[in-house]
Amino acid sequence: MIDILLSEQLLAAAIITGTLYALVALGLNLVYGTMRLLNIAHGELVMLGAYVASSGYNYFGISPLVGVIGAGVLTGLMGAAVYIFLFRNLLVKPELSRRLEANSLLIFFGAIVILQNIVALAFTGTPRGYRYLDGVIHFGGVALTENRLAGFLIAAAICLATAIFLRASIVGVAIKALIQDRRAAGLVGINVDRIQLLSLTLGFSIGGVAGALVSMTQEITPFMGFPYTMAAFVVIILGGLGNLVGGIAAGLVLGFIQIYGVALTSPQWNSILLYGAFVAVLVLRPQGIMRGGRGVR
Amino acid sequence: MFRRLLLGLVTAIALTGWVSAQAADPVRIGFSISETGLFAPGAAKQIKSYDLWRELVNAKGGLDVAGTKRPVEFVKYDDQSAPANAVKIYEKLITDDKVDLLFPPFGTVMHLAIVPLLERYKFPMVANTASSVHIREIKPGNIWFTSPSIHDKWAEELVKLAKQAGVSRLALLSNAIPPANEVRRFIIPELEKAKIEIVVNEVWPPSINDMTAVLSQVKKAAPDGVIVLSLPNDSVLYTRQANELGIDAKFQFVAIGPAGAAYRKMFGPKLDGIVMLGHWTPERKEWPQAKEFYDAYVAKYNEPPDYLDSALSYISCQVTEQAVAKAGLDLDKLRETISTGTFETINGPIRFKGVENAVLPVSFLQHQGGKIELIWPSSLATAQYKPRSK
Repeated sequence: MIDILLSEQLLAAAIITGTLYALVALGLNLVYGTMRLLNIAHGELVMLGAYVASSGYNYFGISPLVGVIGAGVLTGLMGAAVYIFLFRNLLVKPELSRRLEANSLLIFFGAIVILQNIVALAFTGTPRGYRYLDGVIHFGGVALTENRLAGFLIAAAICLATAIFLRASIVGVAIKALIQDRRAAGLVGINVDRIQLLSLTLGFSIGGVAGALVSMTQEITPFMGFPYTMAAFVVIILGGLGNLVGGIAAGLVLGFIQIYGVALTSPQWNSILLYGAFVAVLVLRPQGIMRGGRGVR
Repeated sequence: MFRRLLLGLVTAIALTGWVSAQAADPVRIGFSISETGLFAPGAAKQIKSYDLWRELVNAKGGLDVAGTKRPVEFVKYDDQSAPANAVKIYEKLITDDKVDLLFPPFGTVMHLAIVPLLERYKFPMVANTASSVHIREIKPGNIWFTSPSIHDKWAEELVKLAKQAGVSRLALLSNAIPPANEVRRFIIPELEKAKIEIVVNEVWPPSINDMTAVLSQVKKAAPDGVIVLSLPNDSVLYTRQANELGIDAKFQFVAIGPAGAAYRKMFGPKLDGIVMLGHWTPERKEWPQAKEFYDAYVAKYNEPPDYLDSALSYISCQVTEQAVAKAGLDLDKLRETISTGTFETINGPIRFKGVENAVLPVSFLQHQGGKIELIWPSSLATAQYKPRSK
């Protein structure tokens, strides 16, 4: 047992699983952080991204690595449209804005039904899949399917780029300011409207990219989104709602809890460990596992 | 005189209209379908078979109801893969929608949930994607399993196949769903009887999304056989990660999923040698309807049917169709006809003894060179079992 626990394979699995969690949660966190919108349809964006990549490959022979870009662009445009035609008006009216966090739950619940049914009508509910980069490569004691490795590298690059972007760019700093205090951000001259548009576009886009990566390794269906929404919510609550870098760290922590927890106990403990950690953080450290309160670092 | 003639004419027109309206009345068939949730990937194949059957029947002028052709209409609801929802839906279908016939929901868990309801309302239903020792033991009178793979029997036959394949050390991996637990209850004693050592014995929850820890144990134990009691989702996960980790046991059985189109597309030649549950193949010339079904399915959906779930679903439609042709829609007559009749299906002739399929034996399929062959039992086999190459 101890040799399995110390194996590079298990370490790689934990990092890869955690990175995917981090990526899915990052998109959700951007949307929640900047606008306090509870996007429970985030898993459906993952599903849409998966169908874009899968259809591009199955019907037109487009590489899923190109499909990743297509998925990101499509879901990003959806995010922009949702902001421009729906949330922009709601956010400027103080009485609607106050209720928006709760109302967004209902809005996105409706979006789940609409998106699932559109995709089911277009593609039927039958699972879809495709073969792409399915060779196994070995380095050290780790064996990885090429598509899984490609997915990990892209997910890690996006998480890293986002962390750097938030720290090093003026727009990133503006996003952080908006997350910390929307009104104060406006008072110091930040174009709140533009930053909100950017955040929603980026948040949706990252969900789509994650879906395209998932489609390379799993069967996809129109109803695959819910577990991703759940995982993303667990991660962003662990990391601190609106804490983008905390969310990335929490994704990795969750990956380690899941993989090493199962290795130490049994697969049947998987959910107990995940949700146990979740409840423990809610009770002991409701502001999230990263130091400090809500906000960004 | 003229008034009488006019009255007669009007009456005749009215009667003709009434008769033709009766003849055109659709036969309403109700069912719940797992459009969302755990069983959605499997149920999607089931509904495709139902839709294909309805299309073919309606194209022939409708369902033959004891001599009268009537179009078929479906009344369906999403049960979200929740057995409690299925119970409510079937009760609504019987008491509120007042459907003429019932088709089954997806999977053993859902079938089990609605058996008490079928008994209470004495509503006969031909089952498809399910089998259960428990149901056989309580001897209900309104459900019949088209699948020959009742869990105790397929556990016994699978161990015989593993033994014949030369397996002596085996990893037993399983989803925690009730049907898989029922199989485990029978397969473990059978393995002990056959003196096959279980070197890894793990159960995972349906929500599993990474098997590295479990499959690392399997890799380390290096068994010569692996039996995976899985649903489509974890079948994909097992196959991907077993390939990744280089699990090279010569005998690998993956219960449900490998006969589906998406699975075949995802893994291609890497599936070669995988054994799975299934008793139907279009390759068997003795079942002339099998190829017709295969061709019609491919023509409609542009992909091959799942050799297990699609086939079973279509067979249950065929049995219902032939029973209705003989007995009409009277539920008592229908029950009697299904219990005693013999039905020509894509899987050859079928009749029932109690709840069981009395004709077909437990069978297994194997991926061989891009095709799916029936390899067990030898009396039906279209090809011999081949060990999975390393």
